[in-house]
Amino acid sequence: MTTLRKYWRIWLRTASMAMQAQLTYRLGSFGFLLGKMIRLFFFFAFMAAVFSHVETVAGYSLIETALFFMTFNLVDMTAQILFRGVYGARRTVSEGDFDFYLVQPCSPLFRMTCSSVDFLDIITIIPVIVMTGMVFARLPPLGWQSCVAYGLLMVNGVALIYAIHVLVAALAVRTQELESAIWIYRDVMFMGKFPVDVYAPAVRWALTVGVPIAVMTTFPAKALLGRLSAAWIIYAFALTAAALPLSWLFWRDSVARYTSSSS
Amino acid sequence: MAAAIETKGLTKDYRSPLKEPGLWGGVKSLFDRQYKDTRAVDGVSFQIEEGELVGFLGANGAGKTTTLKMLSGLLTPTAGSATALGHVPWKRESDFQRSISLVMGQRSQLWWEIPAYETFKLNQAIYGLSEADFREHLDELVELLDLGEHLSVPVKKLSLGQRMRAELAAALLHRPRLLLLDEPTIGLDVIMQKKVREFVKVYNKRYGATIMLTSHNMTDVVELCKRVIVIEKGRLLYDGPLDRLVERYADHKILRARFTTPVDPADLKILGAVIKYEDSTITLEVPRAQMAASAAALLRSYPVADLNVEEVAIDDIVRRLFTHG
Amino acid sequence: MKTYWVAYQIALQETLQRRSTLIMDRLGGFAVVVSLYSFWIALIGNKATFLGYTRAEMLTYVLALNILRSFVFTGRGWQLVGEISTGKISSYLVRPLSYQGYALALDLAQKTVHVAAAFFEVGLLALLVRGGLFLPSDPATWILFGVAVLLSSLLFFFLEFMVSSLAFWTSESGGPLFCFELFLQFAAGAFFPLDVLPLALRRALEATPFPYMVYFPVRIFLEKVSPVEALRILGMEALWLAAVYAAAMTVWRRGVRSYAAEGG
Repeated sequence: MTTLRKYWRIWLRTASMAMQAQLTYRLGSFGFLLGKMIRLFFFFAFMAAVFSHVETVAGYSLIETALFFMTFNLVDMTAQILFRGVYGARRTVSEGDFDFYLVQPCSPLFRMTCSSVDFLDIITIIPVIVMTGMVFARLPPLGWQSCVAYGLLMVNGVALIYAIHVLVAALAVRTQELESAIWIYRDVMFMGKFPVDVYAPAVRWALTVGVPIAVMTTFPAKALLGRLSAAWIIYAFALTAAALPLSWLFWRDSVARYTSSSS
Repeated sequence: MAAAIETKGLTKDYRSPLKEPGLWGGVKSLFDRQYKDTRAVDGVSFQIEEGELVGFLGANGAGKTTTLKMLSGLLTPTAGSATALGHVPWKRESDFQRSISLVMGQRSQLWWEIPAYETFKLNQAIYGLSEADFREHLDELVELLDLGEHLSVPVKKLSLGQRMRAELAAALLHRPRLLLLDEPTIGLDVIMQKKVREFVKVYNKRYGATIMLTSHNMTDVVELCKRVIVIEKGRLLYDGPLDRLVERYADHKILRARFTTPVDPADLKILGAVIKYEDSTITLEVPRAQMAASAAALLRSYPVADLNVEEVAIDDIVRRLFTHG
Repeated sequence: MKTYWVAYQIALQETLQRRSTLIMDRLGGFAVVVSLYSFWIALIGNKATFLGYTRAEMLTYVLALNILRSFVFTGRGWQLVGEISTGKISSYLVRPLSYQGYALALDLAQKTVHVAAAFFEVGLLALLVRGGLFLPSDPATWILFGVAVLLSSLLFFFLEFMVSSLAFWTSESGGPLFCFELFLQFAAGAFFPLDVLPLALRRALEATPFPYMVYFPVRIFLEKVSPVEALRILGMEALWLAAVYAAAMTVWRRGVRSYAAEGG
């Protein structure tokens, strides 16, 4: 309990420090915020435009496709709020900040993942939540089981994304390069914006079993719409249960091999 | 008294992939990668008592920083063992981490864009300091380091000296019993160097903290450390009092003479190595055993106005150790 | 000229050396292309056309998009922002060298590698995917397309250069550039053909330089516009390029001046 409180305190302090640091670049921060809003708006406009020409895509109506898109955003943005620090992992290592993380009595992995909380992410997630609420209002009535499955699968998705981030952070510690590892994740993540059913069967398999983007982004919405079998739900949780310990093991091994960059 | 640090055969290898030139070499290394092991620290054993202030000397790349990084738990050694304050450092137990600190002159844990005070508050959370302890420790450090109003200014606006002192404060807020300092005065001007030195001395005295310090600045070592450990290419070369290091390695003395009329310095070579000749003053380096004879010869055959004999400066000895060794 | 040639060669070697970065870049871009293609194919479903595009045309649009991303959208904006924020820019300003020329040489090296990779990927995809490609038979189309792409590439370069130069004033941040790049991808037609938009919105976008970077060149390639119309588009594009070039140089000069005034 005290440990939990300590980590909560450290997270809050880091977040507030990151915010102060960001605010020193006011105009720049505004640009980033605006960019994120633009992206959201355009994608929505695009969806709406598409559905002015067709009734359904891969069997999903406009509102259902919107649900997939909003769920993607919720999961993706939550992960960004929590794990953004990993994006700068290589820099953290090469500039020696990681040395300090290792010497201080706080999990270096925790310090690394939360080292750059972006308050703009927190601001942008508010309209996303509002829009998701609007999408929900338009869906047919939902059973509570579907809602619970939706919530749990979203948490599961965030946990799976966490495992990937741990892997990327470990690679950065191990090799002191591979900066682009996180960007390929971002690009592949783009595929999660659409319901996985639009893809050809081979791609769909790759996204479910290989790089499990679908499990992170598409599964929650499918479960909510009652289109995900119990077997797949179990698969999703089992996958995370396996991925988390594996990523932690890899992390520990990488830290033991850490060579620290020479100053 | 218990040993604060004890190492036995501490060894660290760095492994780096061998790079073959050219595109083909690059493709080949994708599949069949060759590695080269470099031994940075080679079987180093020593013991440091609690409360000691020890200088850790060696040339660039001798393995000083690597040793400090192992002792602070950053790096896991390839072989050998070490304990610091009774812990194995690289297990990174939180009790251990709460009682040590590592300061690297070329690194900063302070956040660049915001005031140093914010980093202090973060460290308060990390080290779990109560508000009262935090206040007390901070006030003391502010006074000792003369930090005052610098704490509320963004770190990027501080001078190098101010930043280094803020850095020290951040590292010492939790009042560590073991302090590892890697080049703490690097890049500072002479006055700032002095301030940092005085602080290190006071911290060692007041809290009985064990301090291990590397520096390229010999004044740091001479003024702070009674005992020094010298390593060379990863191996322990000397461990003992600083004075004895001088006796052992200073087999020369310096002979300085001023002449009433100019002389040809080439003629004086037989008396010792000529270091400098200007304004009719010669500086010679003469082996200890030969000193009396050389001085007598000089007085006998040249118009000497003034003559004196000095010990070689300590920095010169150490410097020579590093360059020739 | 020789300086820029040397810069080009060095940059080329560097890009090739950082293989893991290159491979990841390509894989990431490829994933985006695959997902866009899949989405469009799902839209066509079993209809003959969607928004006037056949399956083959849609595939061609997406594949052309992959090549254009590699040839057009590869400026040196982030490098410029970085060099302004670290102050490294000063070291270029004192040298007898045009920063734009230097950046263009580096950009060209990047384009060389990425276009080669893009052609490889496109070839691979074209083999894998059913439906066939749309390849124009009229050689004039190829020439018009080539000219359009060349202009697009310069248009993007200077537009991005102008936005990045804002970093001289925005306290060293890439905010404006980030914003610009996101907007550009949509407005240029790099996510979807602009035909999908309501007419009023499309007209509004067509009055900006953005659609000249992807949407119009691909339409020329797909022979969706008459030769006369194609020439008019190229003319407009040239005008835009001239205007953007002039604006970029003005912003750059003012930026350098205000930078120098603050003493770097």
